[in-house]
Amino acid sequence: MRSIRRLPAALGAAAAVILASPSEPVWAQNALAESGLIGELEGVTIITDPAQWPTSFNEAPELAEMVASGALPPVEERLPEDLMVIQPVGEIGQYGGIWRRGFTGPGDNENGNRIQASDRPILVDHTGATPRPSLAKGWQMSEDGKTFTLNLRRGLKWSDGDPFTADDFVFWYEDIYGNPDIVPTPIPDMTPEGKPGRIVKADDYTVNFEFDVPFFLFEELMMGDTLIGGGQAVRQSDKRTAGGYAPGHYLAQYVPSDTKSVEELDAEAKAEGFDNWVARLHFKKDWTLNPELPVLGPFRTVQPINNANWVMERNPYYWAVDTAGNQLPYFDGVAMSVVENLEVLNLRAMAGDYDLQERHIDLGKLPVILENQEAGNYTVHLDLAFNGADAIYQFNQTYDADPEIAKWLTNTDFRRALSLAIDRDQLNETFWLGVATPGSPAPGEVLPYFPGEGWREKWSTYDPDEANRLLDSIGLTEKDAEGYRLRTDNGERLRLEVQAVQAFLPWPRISEMVADQWRQVGIQADVKDTERSLAFTRTQANEHQIMVWNNGGTELLYLFPRHAIPVDPTEAFMGPEFAKWYASNGAQGRAPEDPNMLKILELFRSAAGQKSEERIETAKEIWKILIDQQYGIGTVGQSPALMGVRLVSNKLGNIPSRNCIAQHCRTPGGAHPETWYFKE
Amino acid sequence: MITYITRRLVLALVTCWAISVISFIIIQLPPGDFVNSYIANLSASGSMVSAAEADAMREQYGLNRPIWVQYGKWMGRVLQGDFGMSMEWGRPVLEVIGDRLWLTIVISIAAIILTWGIALPIGIYSAVRQYSIADYIFTLIGFIGLAVPNFLLALIIMYLGFKYFGANIGGLFSPEYDLAPWSWDKVWDLMSHLPLPAFILALAGTAQLIRIMRANLLDELRRPYVTTARARGLQEWRVIMKYPVRAALNPFASTIGYLLPFVVSGSIVVSLVLSLPTVGPLLLRALVAQDMFLAGAIVLLLGVLTVIGTFLSDLMLMWIDPRIRAGMHG
Repeated sequence: MRSIRRLPAALGAAAAVILASPSEPVWAQNALAESGLIGELEGVTIITDPAQWPTSFNEAPELAEMVASGALPPVEERLPEDLMVIQPVGEIGQYGGIWRRGFTGPGDNENGNRIQASDRPILVDHTGATPRPSLAKGWQMSEDGKTFTLNLRRGLKWSDGDPFTADDFVFWYEDIYGNPDIVPTPIPDMTPEGKPGRIVKADDYTVNFEFDVPFFLFEELMMGDTLIGGGQAVRQSDKRTAGGYAPGHYLAQYVPSDTKSVEELDAEAKAEGFDNWVARLHFKKDWTLNPELPVLGPFRTVQPINNANWVMERNPYYWAVDTAGNQLPYFDGVAMSVVENLEVLNLRAMAGDYDLQERHIDLGKLPVILENQEAGNYTVHLDLAFNGADAIYQFNQTYDADPEIAKWLTNTDFRRALSLAIDRDQLNETFWLGVATPGSPAPGEVLPYFPGEGWREKWSTYDPDEANRLLDSIGLTEKDAEGYRLRTDNGERLRLEVQAVQAFLPWPRISEMVADQWRQVGIQADVKDTERSLAFTRTQANEHQIMVWNNGGTELLYLFPRHAIPVDPTEAFMGPEFAKWYASNGAQGRAPEDPNMLKILELFRSAAGQKSEERIETAKEIWKILIDQQYGIGTVGQSPALMGVRLVSNKLGNIPSRNCIAQHCRTPGGAHPETWYFKE
Repeated sequence: MITYITRRLVLALVTCWAISVISFIIIQLPPGDFVNSYIANLSASGSMVSAAEADAMREQYGLNRPIWVQYGKWMGRVLQGDFGMSMEWGRPVLEVIGDRLWLTIVISIAAIILTWGIALPIGIYSAVRQYSIADYIFTLIGFIGLAVPNFLLALIIMYLGFKYFGANIGGLFSPEYDLAPWSWDKVWDLMSHLPLPAFILALAGTAQLIRIMRANLLDELRRPYVTTARARGLQEWRVIMKYPVRAALNPFASTIGYLLPFVVSGSIVVSLVLSLPTVGPLLLRALVAQDMFLAGAIVLLLGVLTVIGTFLSDLMLMWIDPRIRAGMHG
């Protein structure tokens, strides 16, 4: 046990050893932007005009053999009538090869879920903003905003050959979502204004989502990584229970029905070694664990995730072809090998042991990664994200353990002053190698939600003089011998606490630099390097003062709002009590007294019933208040720090030069890995 | 003698029970539970869990029940040989450990053989030829070996291997054999990866053992019985091997108690740095994820093995050292 304590030191030393390699002493940051590492956003084209579709089809040699031996029906019969035709980024590829990747164990199921990204009705394209057909060939929202219709592809089949129809949506709605033992409380995406919605089958290939109140937002939710729009792979793996549809023909035997009681199911489950029938269902519906489970993504699991290697093979019924009629995917399969720590994963990536890896790659190692490009036979791409902040300091507006601290956390000028005291260029150069964009936490300028000119800079430039003036003006004038400002209640030094977790960015070290910059204006902040789950437990209990995290996903505010505004009690860094109040419709928690915060929550609630253009205006309005009030201080963003450093083997073809890095783009899955291939 | 052994056995059982209670409490001590760490982990990988899903999971795992109920349930099953399901891996705990167990044993035994194979002869040599040049050299290397933490050594060797030899990094298999089914080639691949981790694991222990062996043997060599044996005209190597070395071996026997758990867990930090698929990193991961059945089972296993090991080393000491046997009658 004693050795566990030495672990952080061990990993730190690893980073030190790796970073100390003889690259250039000062990394030429500014050259990076012009280095060609950052490409142009590009992606596949989905051909929706049937006149341009191929009429004859081809398949992988292994599948052709199976067809010849009678183990599999011919490719024409496996493909749907309503084809998905994808034109790859480059050229028509060829079949073969296993895509090798690294992963960190069963907790890393997202590593594979994301490759299956096309198993949702709608998927955004590479711009991150335009929805494109996937499982559904089309969709409409009714004029009154109360009915959303999905048109499914006729003849589309699960990986076991069974048809995928509206019944699979109804099965999920009635037998999984409708069973309180599996889903105890309704999910917000199905209950606008607290009123439960319904999933109704119109015909085999038409599904209606019906609501009692206008819910125009639902259309946008369907294109995100959301509870209903997210698809089977992510939303039903790892004990999750949402997803909107499920393979009823297979899972029906594992849920209670007229012919099978809960007692019978429990007895069966116990005989198979599960605690109860729910535990068995969690296993059976999880594509990462159960190779038998029918899936819709390009691959299916052969060796489950809870082994040293997670191995997938081609889904023989995958429903997309390239423009020449070749059934996708080109890769024979995917093999992920487990690593015990991320340093080793990074080293292996540099040794060329992975064919394409963007997950878990550390931006801080970029100099060494570039140095090894030739030896590892890979090319590096830097993909910039769209979210405004890789480190955002969220001030807990409901903190109540220390009234004096709470008074300053809720003081607008105090927060503005601390924001003006941050030298974002220094942070950018040190931790992001100068490739990120400094400024407010607003979404990227290219997105419709960007609030407009001037809002990147608002209260988010480096102006220590103004910061000092603001701090003086609110009454923090007294200082001690070391120049720190004093509390107004007992004359002791004012000490803030920043809770920082070592997760995908070195937030504790970043925060030390921020604390150092705040020191220049007389504010002391203690950085608490906190273990991840402890930090989350503390924030849920309203015990933190300031929490640093990123705001990935908030670039599409309505799809993933939790790191921008306090609406979700599981992660409400800006005010857990407000989030409880919001989520429970006022039954629990505390209503904001601050009119600006109240306005934000009201605007957000009203957006669900607004049409797209109006909703975008509402989001801009929310961002303007957020930035003006500085509830969360943005530092730098739109960087490749999270999944944006991509090492691509030179053997691969059809690889986009720049990927969309976003939650709803399901990086790298949104780039359709089924169209990538080995050139040799 | 029988009463002595019986008493030891009863004590061992009580200790095992205490270990089970303490390990369960320790695992429960950190705030939050598996569901918290699960949510945090997902959030850090850019995914989300709804509050409803979290509550359903707590109910399913019985995490909302009092700790003594959870302990009772766990212990009741353990006594029937069922260690439960690992929450994180979604498989029976014994299977998850079993996957890694034999690789761990292979590495650990290789490390132990290496340790003893190097330490014993050098220790004896350094004592017999005290203050010779070779003794100084071994002493120097020994102290360096003692002072350098093995994880650091692992890092340096790994870095040098990567930088200058293009060796593939970490793990026990080359990428091409990682996925392959077992074959002679794969076994050979494993054997060729084995020396490095075994060497790193062995080094620190080696240095320590050399010093202990040397010091003990020096004490014994000055005893009158050695002089007597020499005076009787016994050959020098026989004099040394038959008596003083045997007496100097006591510390080896008494450390066997700690060898057994080592064989099963390997060194956690070194395994982690070298990305070895052994039980050590599994324990660390289970503790971080608060996967209490898995962590509990490993901690219990290690505790019980320490108890068994100590018991065995008591017996072994009895066997090698007549003085202990004699002292038992009192």
